[in-house]
Amino acid sequence: MLLICGTAPRKDLPLTEGEASLRGDTLRIGGAAVPCTQGTAALVSAACKTLEYLNQPPPRVLLVGDDGSGKGSRLLYDHLIANLPRLAPRVVVLHYMLPVMGLMRKVSESASKAPQRPFMIADAAAMYAAKAAGIARDFDLFTPDLSELAFLADPQASHPAYVSRHLFESDSTRIPELVAAAYANGSAARTLVVKGATDHIAQGGKIVDRVSEPNIPALEAIGGTGDTISGMVGAFVHGGFDEVTAARVTIRANRMAGLYAGATPATRIWQVIEVLPRVFADHLKDWARQAGDANMERSTS
Amino acid sequence: MFFKSGKKNGFEGGGLVLFDSVEEAMSGERALKADGVENRLVAPPPELRRGCDLALEINLVEKPAVERMLRSRQVPFIDILPMKGDAELLQVVQVTDFGEAVMVKAGNMKLTFDKATGVVLNISGGGCPDIPYLHAEMLAKPLDRAPRPKEMGHTLCSLMLDRAYMQSLEIWKNGDR
Repeated sequence: MLLICGTAPRKDLPLTEGEASLRGDTLRIGGAAVPCTQGTAALVSAACKTLEYLNQPPPRVLLVGDDGSGKGSRLLYDHLIANLPRLAPRVVVLHYMLPVMGLMRKVSESASKAPQRPFMIADAAAMYAAKAAGIARDFDLFTPDLSELAFLADPQASHPAYVSRHLFESDSTRIPELVAAAYANGSAARTLVVKGATDHIAQGGKIVDRVSEPNIPALEAIGGTGDTISGMVGAFVHGGFDEVTAARVTIRANRMAGLYAGATPATRIWQVIEVLPRVFADHLKDWARQAGDANMERSTS
Repeated sequence: MFFKSGKKNGFEGGGLVLFDSVEEAMSGERALKADGVENRLVAPPPELRRGCDLALEINLVEKPAVERMLRSRQVPFIDILPMKGDAELLQVVQVTDFGEAVMVKAGNMKLTFDKATGVVLNISGGGCPDIPYLHAEMLAKPLDRAPRPKEMGHTLCSLMLDRAYMQSLEIWKNGDR
């Protein structure tokens, strides 16, 4: 099971669990209809498209309404703490939720009580909470952008809004340095997928791959283009890809989807997500083969 | 399948509300508890101590909501600070010109608007749960008619979005229209 956990921008949505399906720009989860917009809805939608292409069952989703007050987020934390061992998912993606350090630590402890600890992915504020709680190393994969990487590299910061100015102003040439710092202070997951003008994949404090083509600058402006990366990489890992291969094909697919969608700064995220099946059909086999070859080179060098 | 509320769990904050007097700190604790905001009375560390010997530990991420609640209940406070690291919120703002649109980045938040109409085209970045909510409220509205993130948001991400919003408004108002 791929389990995705997050919040939706609705005050009236109770904690809802169910399989997700995407029709047009609307996501359906356990009887609830949620528009496919920036945030966890975009993540779930991208995962739906990816798993469907891989002939895998749809993602299981835990979604709760939260306008930022944290009330919904706390219900979600409590449910995960009580039920993760029983749910026993293979892959968990934790996403938009109020970062609460003590509760995130309990979620991670609960995951360890499952028959087999799930592959744990965190993005957005779930990643902030894991880092601030000092348990980043218990996670398998984070998907920060450059400003969030600066946050991971700052040992003192508990939120990206309080990152040291000298780290925040780092340009992309300093990504290897920031990656090394994040790993050195124990604030990185086992694998990092750093989203940016050039995407970087890192493991063990070192960059293992970079992808910069096709270059679609408008993707940075479109709300949800980072969420789609977290959804796809979770789906590919669930589909049997190793995490580096999953990351490689994901960031290529995200960029190519921007090209296929003719992305502009006004493009909506569902327009990017809806072209993913065409992108997969045209490129996935080649990318997976190339990624496999690259893995082989890495393991023999 | 729907679930009912579960039990309350442990609290770990990372932010401190500083007060001039013990009475104000006690009033602050009562006010926040009445609004359902987790907090606890603590002795501030010497390097952060200003005012009295009692402070409130809060979840730093909820700084904008806590400020708003204390002000609405007329509880005076000196400041809200992180318990470690830089005491100042990021002030850096970066601007990207896409031709017909401008993207303004503040911290981890990005707001993109149409140069001609001022309409909010997209909001990206961030991770706190008020961001998708603000995204839905602000999208497709002109900047001067969109709600201000600081007034609706609860978290530090909304404060960063507010910085991007205010800078966007200034750029749009000073630009060719």
